[in-house]
Amino acid sequence: MRRTLLIARQEFVKYVTRRGFFISILMFPLWIMVVTLVPQWTGGSGPQHHDFTVVDRTGGAYRDAIAAAALRGAEARRAPAATAQGGHGAPRVVPRSPFAYEDAPDYLVRADDAHFAAAVRRALRGDRGTGYEAPPALDTVVLIPAGFGGAGRAQIWSSGRPDSDLREFVDGALTRALQIAAVHRVAPQISDPAILDAAVQLEARDPDRAAGANATVDSIVPIALAIILFVVSVMNSSVLLQGVVEEKSTRMIEVLLSCATPREITSGKLIGVIAVALTTLVIWGLALFALMGIASHGTVGLVMASLRATASLDTLPLLLVFFLCGLLIYGSLFLAIGSMANSLADAQSLLGPSMLILMLPNVMIAGVIRDPNGALASALSWVPIYTPYFMMLRIASHPPPWQLWGTLALAVTTTVLLIWWTGRVFAKHVLTTERPPSLGALIARFVPGQR
Amino acid sequence: MPETVLELAHVTKRFGDFVAVDDLSFGLARGSILGFLGPNGAGKTTTLRMMLGIVPPDAGTIRVLGRDIAEVRERIGYLPEERGLYKRMRADAAIAYIATLKGLSRGDALARARKLLDGFGLGPFARVRIEGLSKGMAQKVQVLAAVAHDPEFVILDEPFSGLDPVNQTELEAFIRGLAAEGKTILFSTHTMQHAERLCDRLLVLAKGRKLFEGTLEAARRLLPRRARIGADADLAFLAGVPGVLNAAAPAEGQANWTLELSEGADGRTLLAACFEKGVPLSHFDLAPPSLHDVFVSLVEERSPAP
Repeated sequence: MRRTLLIARQEFVKYVTRRGFFISILMFPLWIMVVTLVPQWTGGSGPQHHDFTVVDRTGGAYRDAIAAAALRGAEARRAPAATAQGGHGAPRVVPRSPFAYEDAPDYLVRADDAHFAAAVRRALRGDRGTGYEAPPALDTVVLIPAGFGGAGRAQIWSSGRPDSDLREFVDGALTRALQIAAVHRVAPQISDPAILDAAVQLEARDPDRAAGANATVDSIVPIALAIILFVVSVMNSSVLLQGVVEEKSTRMIEVLLSCATPREITSGKLIGVIAVALTTLVIWGLALFALMGIASHGTVGLVMASLRATASLDTLPLLLVFFLCGLLIYGSLFLAIGSMANSLADAQSLLGPSMLILMLPNVMIAGVIRDPNGALASALSWVPIYTPYFMMLRIASHPPPWQLWGTLALAVTTTVLLIWWTGRVFAKHVLTTERPPSLGALIARFVPGQR
Repeated sequence: MPETVLELAHVTKRFGDFVAVDDLSFGLARGSILGFLGPNGAGKTTTLRMMLGIVPPDAGTIRVLGRDIAEVRERIGYLPEERGLYKRMRADAAIAYIATLKGLSRGDALARARKLLDGFGLGPFARVRIEGLSKGMAQKVQVLAAVAHDPEFVILDEPFSGLDPVNQTELEAFIRGLAAEGKTILFSTHTMQHAERLCDRLLVLAKGRKLFEGTLEAARRLLPRRARIGADADLAFLAGVPGVLNAAAPAEGQANWTLELSEGADGRTLLAACFEKGVPLSHFDLAPPSLHDVFVSLVEERSPAP
């Protein structure tokens, strides 16, 4: 055990003093910052700003309805705080509209169907007709045809693909206008159709979660943890693989083997990688919280509440065990690959197919998130090398206890078995310069007594 | 009877169909220096790895310091043929790391590392990374890493390769110093001069089989003594002198005749014969065969057929 810990310590020091470690430590929070904060600072969080106009050939009621909706959104956007406190102290996001309505230029209003496309092109180029000075170009033109509400369909004109948020906004505004018109037809005594604007505020709650936790953020946190598991595992395991290939090429491995058994070496390396991974996580976590704190105090509160809900006293040990199992499974596989490779080129050729298999969970993630306790999620959770990943995704959704404990046992068993197998592969191949063994020969290493 | 530090009995190692070591048996007494000689591919490194427990033998037994290798790992020092150190480690830390793996505490290991570096004139480089050292310096660091934990048995695989003559002499002195401390040393080498100067005993291996084991004198006795005589005249008549086994004319580009003498033959009879014939000599020397000659002869003539 002493030698194992000495090797682990050496591995830890070796990796955390590399320039690449500092770069990766800095890059991830910077990347998160760029992805999340820069759009906020540039005013682009959520939908992009759009200048649009409406040509209403029905008389103008729909144009006015859309313009009014855009104005309401713009006023909400100018509100001093972007968030307000909900009923239970949880921050509630206020919907905002980034769409600015502009009156349509005369030539566009007058254009008939045959000339409408040309008129739209002119409007999108920024020609707003007489009476305007250096106006901004329009991004989108909405056409309400004369027969709208019956056979006619509203059109949305833009260069290229119309913005999906604007499209959704126009769709909502027109739907509401049609609903108001329908209400007027059946109940003309209603003087204030704004009652239809009453917005429903749904707050997702979970009986197993503490009050104040936000269910949306709660579902994101396990996903983030699972993705971080993948990123940290692949990143650190790749370093482990490179380290073994380097030790093989410099014959340092021979010195190590004269000091310790293959099992002590592989165990030491894996413990070292776990220490590096946990250090990475702690630094990333602190950096992210610092960045979130700079950006918005509310975000820190949300994530903390969610972490408390996700990583409760009940689930925290399980989450940690699944995380460590995942890390050890990936680390063992990479270590085995490294011990079979004679060069980094060899390692790359072995790594390619392995990465395809290991990355499969990322392809399946959407289905599992949509229905965390459905058939797909349950089935994938029983694939040994994916168990930690999917169970981390599912743990906040309270999978049935038999699945939770069963997959936990599977993950631990898989991990122990893979570490044992890696020790055998390492002992057999780390000193050879032969071609990497066949898949059959590798599987045979699972058989006790097989040399 | 001296204590046996290393004992191999009928050790065989195969890699697929290839027999790397074939039924090898030998022993090594405490305090001796054994030269492990053999051409490339003779099975030297495989044998060393088996002694260290890095690869298991397919047959036979190996006892080190009277026990299984796993029990005495910390009492052995090992210098591999190809130097293995972490390039980004500092010299003292590199030595100390191996020493800690061999049982020393970190503090003791570092203190020992610095003392050894000072002794080798590398004190000022103790905090320099391995990648910043010259090849010779890095090799010295590697040698020191092999012995920093004060092992009883030291295995050195090609310790002189890549060292300049000055560093070779320095390392020879260091190995002699280790032997003087009572350590048992086994080193493999291709350089016969080092083996001649350092070893008490020699073991010659070829194609996985032992060709010779014994002292340097015993090795030299494997070949007849040789006399080299330089003269302008034809010396073929010397073949008839009692004790002369063979008289060979100078090879192209060489000046001297080579005469092989039987054991106990008196070289002075050659001088007397030349004097009687009135042949003036430009060169005369009588010397035992070099280890190089013995080695070449053993490997070329006695190595087992493939």
